[in-house]
Amino acid sequence: MRAADLLQFNLRLLLRQRFRTLMSLLAMAVGVAAVLLLTGLGEGARQFVLNEFSLLGNDVLIMLPGRKETTGGIPPLTGEGTRDITLDDVQALGQLPSVRRIAPLIVGNAQTHVGGRSRELLTLGTSALFFDLRDLGVRQGRMLPDIPLDRAASVCVLGAGARQELFAQQPALGQWLRIGDRRFRVIGILDDRGESLGMDMRNTILIPVASAQQIFNTRGMFRVFVQHQPGSSLERARQDILALMQERHGGEKDVTLITQDALLGAFDDVLRLLTLGVAAIAAISLLVAGILIMNITLISVSQRTREIGLLKALGASANTVRILFISEALQLALLGSLLGAITGYSLLALGHWFFPLLPFVVSSWALGAAWAIAILTATLFAWLPASRAAAMAPVLALHGQAR
Amino acid sequence: MRLLDSTRLVSRALLTARLRSFLTILGIAVGIAAVSLLTTIGAGLQLYVLENFSQFGSRIIAVNPGKTQTSGIGALLSSTRPLSVEDAQSLRPLPFVELVVPVVQGSGAIEFGRRVRHTDIIGGNGEMAAAWRFEVAQGRFLPVISGNSQPFAVLGSKVKQELFGEASALGRFIRVGGERYRVIGVMAAKGQMLGFDLDDIVYIPIDRALALFNRSGLMEIDITYRAGTSAQQMAERIRQRLIQRHTVEDFTITTQDEMLSSLDRILGLLTVAIGALGGISLLVGAIGIVTIMVTTVQERTAEIGLLRALGATRRQILLLFLGEALLLAIAGGLFGLLLMSVLLGVLAIAVPSLPISLSPFYLLLALALAALVGLLAGVSPAWRAASLNPVDALQQE
Amino acid sequence: MIRLQALCKAYALGDETVTALDEVSLDIGAGEYLSVMGPSGSGKSTLLNMIGLLDTPDTGRYQLCGHDMTILNEEGRAAERNRRIGFVFQAYHLIDRLSARENIELPLVLAGMAPAERRPLVDEVIERLGLLDRAGHLPRQLSGGQRQRVAIARAVIRKPALLLADEPTGNLDSHSGAEVIKLLEELNSQGITLLVVTHDPAIGQRAGRRLRMEDGRVTEDSGAVNTPRETGYARR
Repeated sequence: MRAADLLQFNLRLLLRQRFRTLMSLLAMAVGVAAVLLLTGLGEGARQFVLNEFSLLGNDVLIMLPGRKETTGGIPPLTGEGTRDITLDDVQALGQLPSVRRIAPLIVGNAQTHVGGRSRELLTLGTSALFFDLRDLGVRQGRMLPDIPLDRAASVCVLGAGARQELFAQQPALGQWLRIGDRRFRVIGILDDRGESLGMDMRNTILIPVASAQQIFNTRGMFRVFVQHQPGSSLERARQDILALMQERHGGEKDVTLITQDALLGAFDDVLRLLTLGVAAIAAISLLVAGILIMNITLISVSQRTREIGLLKALGASANTVRILFISEALQLALLGSLLGAITGYSLLALGHWFFPLLPFVVSSWALGAAWAIAILTATLFAWLPASRAAAMAPVLALHGQAR
Repeated sequence: MRLLDSTRLVSRALLTARLRSFLTILGIAVGIAAVSLLTTIGAGLQLYVLENFSQFGSRIIAVNPGKTQTSGIGALLSSTRPLSVEDAQSLRPLPFVELVVPVVQGSGAIEFGRRVRHTDIIGGNGEMAAAWRFEVAQGRFLPVISGNSQPFAVLGSKVKQELFGEASALGRFIRVGGERYRVIGVMAAKGQMLGFDLDDIVYIPIDRALALFNRSGLMEIDITYRAGTSAQQMAERIRQRLIQRHTVEDFTITTQDEMLSSLDRILGLLTVAIGALGGISLLVGAIGIVTIMVTTVQERTAEIGLLRALGATRRQILLLFLGEALLLAIAGGLFGLLLMSVLLGVLAIAVPSLPISLSPFYLLLALALAALVGLLAGVSPAWRAASLNPVDALQQE
Repeated sequence: MIRLQALCKAYALGDETVTALDEVSLDIGAGEYLSVMGPSGSGKSTLLNMIGLLDTPDTGRYQLCGHDMTILNEEGRAAERNRRIGFVFQAYHLIDRLSARENIELPLVLAGMAPAERRPLVDEVIERLGLLDRAGHLPRQLSGGQRQRVAIARAVIRKPALLLADEPTGNLDSHSGAEVIKLLEELNSQGITLLVVTHDPAIGQRAGRRLRMEDGRVTEDSGAVNTPRETGYARR
């Protein structure tokens, strides 16, 4: 039998059993749509997180004080070491040939006052290079001035949210505000950006690092961001930094260096696994759809016993009969998967439209997997009924007896 | 028609189409197994995590500096108004207060002779072990004192092992961040909590830790309180006292109660969500029942006509087919639970550490769910059967 | 053209064994017109199924057009059925979701013939059997006589050497039955070998060669009368 004839023969059949066909299509479509939707969401979440974190750039190392022996565990995130990372350390590191840019960071919560208003805001003490490193832009005014690290200056840059909180509708640029007991002039407003690296940049105030040291009465850095020279390798920069810090800290290895890859690797793995797990749960429904297709093929075989007998009398071989039934199931599965794929992706697109933050991800592997599973289940589950039909004795089948 | 008779009619019909019924049941069974397995594992994990957290006891309140809790790192940050040891002391006179523990955490090198280990250092006071319900294996914990402390250190079991091996550590001198400390105790092994090794820690007095890390403020104050007051009331008293001292509320209070219940809520929600994912399979199984029931009604049209001709009422026909769908679904539910218990058994053997809690409530719920699915899926085909015209139905072949 | 040698066939019916064919030997020449009569259970349908390769004998030999059929497997028999044998059934056995034309076309479709090749063949048969105005109808829109006519068209579409009819008039009124028999005889006169199983003596008497069966044996054989003519059908 030719493929085109087979297709037409089956279509006739499926159209005739409209309700049954519709339900099998629905079952298949629900399964495929669920798999695609969930993997799409999972992949979207993964990419969202990765994008958010990779703003740091592949060539940036984060240094924090303190070190722990246990590898693989949580790094000493508290940022309290027995020996501070000082501004001198930062300056020395900046001289390393393998280091391109370096930005210190002191973070604290500080009470900020403007006129009668008072808010507690996340205050970041850092340098001009921080803006380049973190890819931060200003909407209004300018960034922090490029002054020596150890020089305090009474200027600050506000996040968009912080600006709104403190000044509401009033103009902010050029105004004075008070952080702790010191006065700062607003010289810039940050671009509107969401959360990144666990810090909501919208609600922050950026001031020169030396000013932050005074406000918080601290010497040591909370974090140091280091971008390595494009010519040298990341590992090389890492070695250089560690060696220099050890030398400066009297032979003690007491800092921890984190690369973005190491940080994201764990995240990536977990999210990937989660996506896979959720997709697998959804794929169970494809198994159930497969069982339904088997059942329907079985019913089709029993209802069409006489037809099978006739086809055999007309010279259809056992193989032809088997192909007839399997292709029928396959057609159902393919049509259902197509329907499911369209539904799944439409829902994802809709979700993207409603929540633009969530990237619209068409993961080709999920699509491929869903189709493969659909086709495989249909073939597998139709095999038994189809073989039953193929093995029927023509004489008995003609009289409507299965055996 | 008597119940027994109709049951016999229905089961005879299902048995005649044995393979068909089996496959329909299997479809529902897979769905029910998926839902119940996932919720069971979810509930088990929920219990496990809660137990992990409640090992600190439930009558404990934490105060962290900073009002804006930025993704949980607020406590680590510098602040213009740090929480001080004096703040902690000021809470002691409050009614019902039992223990007050100031906490600061960092990391540094611990040296003994030529051996060095970089590890977590926690600054606390003499009440910390009791408040956190940590047990001392050898020696004693930090002494309860007022005023300047002595350079005493207590080692986590892993640190002790790494630095001293089998030898006794008590009374020995170690260096923490370059300063000399005398080891006065070793903690009992505690294991990990959420990836954090509780045995790889050295405990030193709070004032020394603050000096060591060159910090002015605490990261946390933990307060335990006696029974007889509610978490809210206790939190309120602490809030009032601290506002008195700071004039503004520049700190965050978390009660263990609150944290446990919100954790419980989140995990419960997660369990339901995962169960709902499994429910997709159940939906597909329901589609299966509808399909098969409609086909059955089609095939048995003549039989329905005959039954009507013999005097069966519409209601009886409706109940007959509804009963058939219900029976399929409940059989599917039972089979699904069986499938689940087999899978759980395999899982329990493969991953012995997996916390599994079988609750009869969930099992009954799964069965009820299956029955509901059967009813919903059976209504339309049964209605179709009941509304057949007996004359037309009889003529159908 | 057909040579049966000592064909035996027994069926298990419950606990009993029923002998359907008991050492039947028979020679049928090309272009012959045979009728097979006999009471129910005498083995006539079994004989027909055996000749039509729908069933296989327990013992004995069967040669068709000089080829041994007993050595064929099911796939081989299916191919032979498609090529050399046409069936006409009492119950027509038309597929009710396919139009008359599509039903007629079915053997060609199963043989894997291309649509362009099929079209002239189907057109020719439809015209020859006077079904031009019925070709697009579904079986349920046709009368019994027309349905059997479609079935006959389907049986001869591949120009088989042998046409087997099992009670072809069983479901028809006498007028339609007579027309169907006329059509079959017309086809026979064009050279196709025709074998009709029937209860109706009026129809059985019309055949050139009449067989009577009882208890699985051929008890009467009027013998071959008409000499085979070399026609388009017989040569195949």
